[in-house]
Amino acid sequence: MVKKRRLHHLARLLFVFFCMNVIWYIAFLLMNHPILPSPWAVYNAMIHLGAQEIALNVGYSLVRIFAGVVLALLIGMLIGLLMGRSQAWNKLLDPVVYLTYPVPKIALLPVVMLFFGLGEFSKILMIMLILLFQVIISVRDGVKAIPENTYDVLTSIGASAAQKFWHVTMPGALSVILSTIRISLGTAISVLFFTEIYGTEHGMGFFIMDAWLRLDYAEMYAGIMLFSLVGFMLFMLVDYLDYKFMQWRN
Amino acid sequence: MSSLRNNGLHIKHLSIEYKGGSSVLGDVSLTLPEHAIYTVIGPSGSGKSSLMRAIAGLLPAYRGEILFNGQSVHRKETLIGLVPQNYGLLPWKTVQSNIQMAMKIAHPLQQQREQEEQIRQWLTSLGISELKSRFPLSLSGGQQQRVAIARAFAILPTILLLDEPFSALDAMTREALQKIFLDNWLAHPATTLFVTHDVDEAISLGQKIIVMPSNQKDALEIVDNHTVFQMKHQDKRDSNEFFEQTKRIRKVMQEKW
Repeated sequence: MVKKRRLHHLARLLFVFFCMNVIWYIAFLLMNHPILPSPWAVYNAMIHLGAQEIALNVGYSLVRIFAGVVLALLIGMLIGLLMGRSQAWNKLLDPVVYLTYPVPKIALLPVVMLFFGLGEFSKILMIMLILLFQVIISVRDGVKAIPENTYDVLTSIGASAAQKFWHVTMPGALSVILSTIRISLGTAISVLFFTEIYGTEHGMGFFIMDAWLRLDYAEMYAGIMLFSLVGFMLFMLVDYLDYKFMQWRN
Repeated sequence: MSSLRNNGLHIKHLSIEYKGGSSVLGDVSLTLPEHAIYTVIGPSGSGKSSLMRAIAGLLPAYRGEILFNGQSVHRKETLIGLVPQNYGLLPWKTVQSNIQMAMKIAHPLQQQREQEEQIRQWLTSLGISELKSRFPLSLSGGQQQRVAIARAFAILPTILLLDEPFSALDAMTREALQKIFLDNWLAHPATTLFVTHDVDEAISLGQKIIVMPSNQKDALEIVDNHTVFQMKHQDKRDSNEFFEQTKRIRKVMQEKW
């Protein structure tokens, strides 16, 4: 039953993908200009890229995203937890979070570059900044939404703070954490693109801009498609984690 | 003899106030011998739940003393099994891992295989062995309560506290669970306080029945119930003694509530 539904889902995805290619091909025929190559040319360029080059660029981008996400999760969960469990900390940090939350993080890009240079650190820091505030807010709300009496049985058998965190707080807040990641992942990937334009010779952003400068449009589109594929895979990963850890809801 | 006098749960001059100074329990003293089971019955707002929470160590502050065998009840050696009214199961853990988590916290040195074997036995004796991989949200109230009781028994607690465990269940399920609970308790008699608002339940399950007054300044009334308690469970409700006991409790309730 589930398998059948999943096959159905997959078939629909493939169908949509096919239709998009058809539209692309029609647009290519209508335009008849080198700035929009045909799907065949792009797929051909993709095949000729070579596995090593793809792996290197995708790898760099993935490492940056993962480092940013993990950092944002670690710091965000710590602060969110503190705010969710303690009134005093919440009162202190709440104004800080609310004042900084609406600042468009991409506007901080020049500031981060000024302070931390053009290297890896500023790229990872940007991704972390994008995710951090949303993680803080959702962890805090997720932790607050866990009813106080959920801890009662564990408290009465003498569970430590770490055990309560591991068995109650963490799984209780996991659902909101996952949906936050899903929402902010898209922003994080676009910011990654911006940060990979400068100060690096690897990564999907660099690859696309490099092909653009060389006027190799087929390769540029191939890069965009690969970049999208990476994003798609990341979404699938979050979906998989959601499916794995949220089985109890059904 | 002096050591015997110290045996069991001693509550001395316990009074509980919530923030803002409103008193929920005023000066309660109570002795519950080791391996005894007493039921507690009282009107809402009489502080039954607060009494349980104080013993379980869930209240930050109270006045008075709660001792077990002469020492504070909140020491790590005194293991407390709590069955709250809302079952207290973690929805993100399966039946098996809900119980296993509690056992691991209560007895960190025990072998995992041994724990799994014990869980299997407890699930069987509560009649829910086929539910072990299910998540609590997919279970009925009665099934969830069986899991909660299995978990409380499985950690082999020194003190067992049940706070209106069956009140959300329908009459048939409730009576079935009362019997299962009592059978298991007789096999593993932890020192037990059982809070209920149901007179029949109080008489079916308690060696003594503690009637809480609605006015906090009045003393508790403790009614001896050994005659009914010693009967076979299925005979209790039809017996004369049960009927007499019901009348006696109702009379106390009329005076105190």
